[in-house]
Amino acid sequence: MAQTLESSEARAAVTQANEWQPRIVAMVCNWCTYAGADGAGTARRAYAPNVRIVRFLCTGRMDPLFIVKAFEQGADGVLISGCHPGDCHYVQGNLLARRRFTMFRALMDFLGLDNRRLHFAWVSASEGAKWSRIVDEVTASVREAGPLPNWGRLGMGMANPAHSSPLGHSAPRLDARVPPSTEDKQSISSHLQQLAADLLRNGEISSVVGYSCGTLPEQMVPTFVTDPEQVSALDWSEHCANNLAVYLPDALKKKGSGKVAIVVKSCDAKAVMGLIRENQVKREDVLLLGIPCTGLWQNGGLALKCHSCSREVSPSSDWTITPNGAQKGAALSEAERKVGADPRDEQIGILESLTSQERWDYWQRQFDRCLRCYACRAVCPMCYCNNCISDKHRPQWISTSFDGKGNTAWNIARAMHLAGRCTGCDECTRVCPAGIRLDLLNRRLAREAEIRFDYHVDEDVSTIPPLTSFRPDDPDEFL
Amino acid sequence: MKTNGWRLTETEWRSWLEGLLRAGKSVIAPVEENALRLFSPVTSAADVVVENYSNTQWSPKEFLFPRSEPLLFYRFRGDETELEDPGLDDKEQVLFGLRPCDVAGLGRLDDIFLGESADPFYEHRRKQTTVVSLACDKAEAACFCTAVGGSPAATEGSDVQLVPRAEAWLLQALTPRGEELIAGSASAWTPASAEDWRQAEEQRLGVEKTIERSPLSKDWAPRLEETFAQPLWEKLGQRCLGCGICAYVCPSCSCFDMNDEGNALCGTRCRSWDSCAFTRFTQHASGHNPRATRPPRYRQRVLHKFSYFPLEHGERFMCVGCGRCLKLCPVGLDIHQTVRAAVSKGTPGEGHQ
Repeated sequence: MAQTLESSEARAAVTQANEWQPRIVAMVCNWCTYAGADGAGTARRAYAPNVRIVRFLCTGRMDPLFIVKAFEQGADGVLISGCHPGDCHYVQGNLLARRRFTMFRALMDFLGLDNRRLHFAWVSASEGAKWSRIVDEVTASVREAGPLPNWGRLGMGMANPAHSSPLGHSAPRLDARVPPSTEDKQSISSHLQQLAADLLRNGEISSVVGYSCGTLPEQMVPTFVTDPEQVSALDWSEHCANNLAVYLPDALKKKGSGKVAIVVKSCDAKAVMGLIRENQVKREDVLLLGIPCTGLWQNGGLALKCHSCSREVSPSSDWTITPNGAQKGAALSEAERKVGADPRDEQIGILESLTSQERWDYWQRQFDRCLRCYACRAVCPMCYCNNCISDKHRPQWISTSFDGKGNTAWNIARAMHLAGRCTGCDECTRVCPAGIRLDLLNRRLAREAEIRFDYHVDEDVSTIPPLTSFRPDDPDEFL
Repeated sequence: MKTNGWRLTETEWRSWLEGLLRAGKSVIAPVEENALRLFSPVTSAADVVVENYSNTQWSPKEFLFPRSEPLLFYRFRGDETELEDPGLDDKEQVLFGLRPCDVAGLGRLDDIFLGESADPFYEHRRKQTTVVSLACDKAEAACFCTAVGGSPAATEGSDVQLVPRAEAWLLQALTPRGEELIAGSASAWTPASAEDWRQAEEQRLGVEKTIERSPLSKDWAPRLEETFAQPLWEKLGQRCLGCGICAYVCPSCSCFDMNDEGNALCGTRCRSWDSCAFTRFTQHASGHNPRATRPPRYRQRVLHKFSYFPLEHGERFMCVGCGRCLKLCPVGLDIHQTVRAAVSKGTPGEGHQ
């Protein structure tokens, strides 16, 4: 498809010289770096001619998708540059940009993009000399990295037995954990039904979002109960996979006078609290019915996310429903629960031990298979935008067509939008028909937020998500 | 009773496939990459996976109706617009190892794309395609081909069918095209006996017995249409989250969108899969959306398959019972159960508004 915007003259000039020249897109802020670059020109400073400058009002305006677009269209490297900390025309835009860039860089590194292609700098209006030096350095660094390898240029993503995953696919075991007994499940279900009926009758709640048995073996599906006579639909087992928090914003729009009660595993509660933290849901409108969870069983094994989970009941539970009955508040178990190593961390480690080219090839094959069904978005409680970036056409950042570029852009955008917000329920990964390991992307970024910004997504609603805040002394050794 | 056909070993049919590859045909068959089974062009017959009965994760429709295909390329030169035809590939393709439900799915695509005015892209590709089906010797919990008029060994639409038996494989050519496909190799094969086919028939009956879902009736189409404005759909579609899995893994879903991918100078007009579950599917340019919430979108999916399509195209449902949407739906929506619920709970006589 001949559609990339290529400057044919520039390309021809390069071919004449018969030598590859790096193409670099520099996205710079109007107030500092652009003026600095201007200064360099006025002072007749010579620097590498490989940089095409795009002027922005502020680095804080820059969306990671701008960088993605540059690579899509054939850039070999990208440089972002703005005012020094403290100098931002808009006070804090550059500091927010620094955090965003930190996350994006970690994501792209994990996806296997050579870090020598991505640069960030502070250049003030008076630093023409610094600008010319930085352009030379960046050009040298991109030259070292070489021409951009295939960015979304694989064929339609079908399976190929020759590509065995570096992750393997044997299910890790955690022998310390067993599913609840049939009796326990029955008691929990009947106490839950009783409690739901009572709360519906006394008007404290107007509906319950819970689970009931599906039509396939072991399958549990979301269900909604508003009538105390219908509570027998509610059920519980170790196969209650869905994170029901995804239904909360809609359920609350429809709610009557009472609250909406929601059945939660401890991991689901983090998403409910996430929605409260981000002002999508009010705490007083929701009643959390916590059920002690011994883990989610999928395909005969414990779900990966459960191995390292030490929390049986969410501390935010308004009610706890145990086999012995329903009690008010969070009934936290006193016994320390045995946990294992997180198998996802091990798999992240395997990918990180590969060369960046191998990692890039691995993820490109994954993304190539992406069907763009947006199930990852649909099941995610934290994906609540009314108008998703992938549905926007003017301008269009993510192709509507199913191609490697659009698939790559979508998966990058999804991961970035959830960076520092993802509560780790892994629903996106459970439902992905193409088996893409989105959980590894999410977790890798969650770890980055922990290491870099000391931010851990949990149930505290007073914290500020890391990409909407900053510290003046955030680490930026990559400058 | 079928009497022709062959009885062959796995090595024999694999070397037949190898021969087709050598003859320059593109062979598309189920392969596995990290436990994910998908149809894919193969380079060696040894890669074809038929063991451990299971259907592929999604249907092979993309080889006739690609996820995205260029309809034209355009380039602006001053006031002129240059258009370029993407051209069509003349390579013959063999779709190998399709389960009878997926073959039936191709039949539904034919109804859509080869109807009154045939789609040239689809038609061209269809003419290059030979279908080798693989009868089922087992059924999965989500399978319901028999409920929608299919069978685990249906032959309609196949050029050649392969039937797995415990001790050997039976193969028969069903069309002149199929005859041609096996012409070079069949002389070396052992003819199958009437007894072989009797046993295959028994196997089919055995598999059919394990499919428990009750038949859906074509006579329900008008009744289903009457449920259109009834409140039951709010409940039936309540848990749908609006992803496109069901439409994209479906062998018969054929809705598409057309979009331009490009820039101010040049671009490509593409036709890409679309799903009625998406918000944008019916969104007007004004912003108004006639299916403003998810339940009416789910209703559209169900009624299109079980009411509008049979009413329009006679006897066929636009569902072939492969069960993929049941298995892969993130919230466990079961289209078979939904149809039954709509028919039993709908109030006859309260019609379409």
